[in-house]
Amino acid sequence: MSKGKPVTGIPRIKLGNHTFYYQYEPSLLDSLEAQEIQAPYSCRAGYCGCCKVRLLEGEVSYIDEGMVDLQEDEILTCICVPKTHIEIELPED
Amino acid sequence: MAYTTFNANQFDSTKEPMFFGQNVNVARYDKQKYPIFEKLIEKQLSFFWRPEEVDLATDRKDFIDMPEHEKHIFLSNLKYQTLLDSVQGRSPNVAFLPIVSIPELETWLETWAFSETVHSRSYTHIIRNIVNDPSVIFDEIVTNPEIIKRAESVTVLYDELINLVSVQSIHGFGVHTIDGVKYDCSLWNLKCKVYLTMVSVNVLEAIRFYVSFACSFAFAERAIMEGNAKIIKLIARDEALHLTGTQNILTLLASGVDDAEFKEVAVACREQAVALFVEAAEQEKEWAEYLFREGSMIGLNAQILSEYVEYITNVRLKAIGFDEVFPARPNPLPWMNAWLSSDNVQVAPQESEISSYLVGQIDSSLEEGDFDDFDF
Repeated sequence: MSKGKPVTGIPRIKLGNHTFYYQYEPSLLDSLEAQEIQAPYSCRAGYCGCCKVRLLEGEVSYIDEGMVDLQEDEILTCICVPKTHIEIELPED
Repeated sequence: MAYTTFNANQFDSTKEPMFFGQNVNVARYDKQKYPIFEKLIEKQLSFFWRPEEVDLATDRKDFIDMPEHEKHIFLSNLKYQTLLDSVQGRSPNVAFLPIVSIPELETWLETWAFSETVHSRSYTHIIRNIVNDPSVIFDEIVTNPEIIKRAESVTVLYDELINLVSVQSIHGFGVHTIDGVKYDCSLWNLKCKVYLTMVSVNVLEAIRFYVSFACSFAFAERAIMEGNAKIIKLIARDEALHLTGTQNILTLLASGVDDAEFKEVAVACREQAVALFVEAAEQEKEWAEYLFREGSMIGLNAQILSEYVEYITNVRLKAIGFDEVFPARPNPLPWMNAWLSSDNVQVAPQESEISSYLVGQIDSSLEEGDFDDFDF
């Protein structure tokens, strides 16, 4: 995971060619939903693993403890918030 | 190796594999080999709930007003759920406790199975509230051929493992013939059985249960049987945790970090494991046909439910690193997520039990810097 550029101001979230500002929603998943992005989810509490996405750039901080086995570049959107500007990639389907 | 309830040997349990190491002695959780099980236990305990907290008075009225074919869907689904939890309330204990070797996993198994007994109690609570004579419904669980068919496939691996472990505990590892019946109690075969049983449990909790949840929530989407759905929502929250548990066990076993031989076992059993998923998916589709044979209900029919079976099977296969077996498709029941998420119930506290209210959620971790701004 590459280190994000130092944040100046509000973290930006990049997904494909869509970039938007993090509006301090309770979780990254909520931020995505606020943009009407259909991000996968199910339990919204960090244990089902459905909301797993790839973090291509930047860093996130966790607000709750996840219980899912994650690869180095994977994050659970339901229990994290952006710490720096981030770029993420949703799973294919 | 005979089972011993308190192993007097002195050893470090963090060096033991999850299964087939030494029997556990002290139930200690100060040092853990896999902290994930401790986290699961804590989460499960914080989820504790009782079915009696949910009022089902309006459900009774809703049930009486239902057309016959919907009563058939509702009751068959409830019977199936009762069967699944009857199995899950005891089998993880009977099958896995005698062979488990680390205390946190042992306790997780017990905590897990205990929560299933709460689910079983819920079905009694629901059935008692909607019909006058619960026996009519309970008695039919063992006489309905469609349910019995399912009972066989969810228990066959459990039973095989339990029998082999019993024989092994008396006669030791190796192939034994008792009363003309051959029992392959070699360590390899036992490990294969553990792996496949765990897969079959994952299939039970991650696919079969979810199909039944879809039916329960479909009623509530129409604002009927809402008390029932509230209970099923609590059950679903527990099940999501349990399936995370089995997924973690399966990935740990398959990675070989816990026990190198299990990596080979996972490779050797892969085809059979995938076959278990496919078999369950096909059975669930047949079940969907049975449920809706007298007519569909608004929002759900055999076809949509079958599509959901395929979708959820793919999701679960991917979660344990297997390839999808059905064509990729978006979730055909997107409204399910609203019911499955653990804390989106937004009601006034005096109106309803808030399922997200966590008990005992105190963070006791302390770091050196925590007292930096503290003056005497």
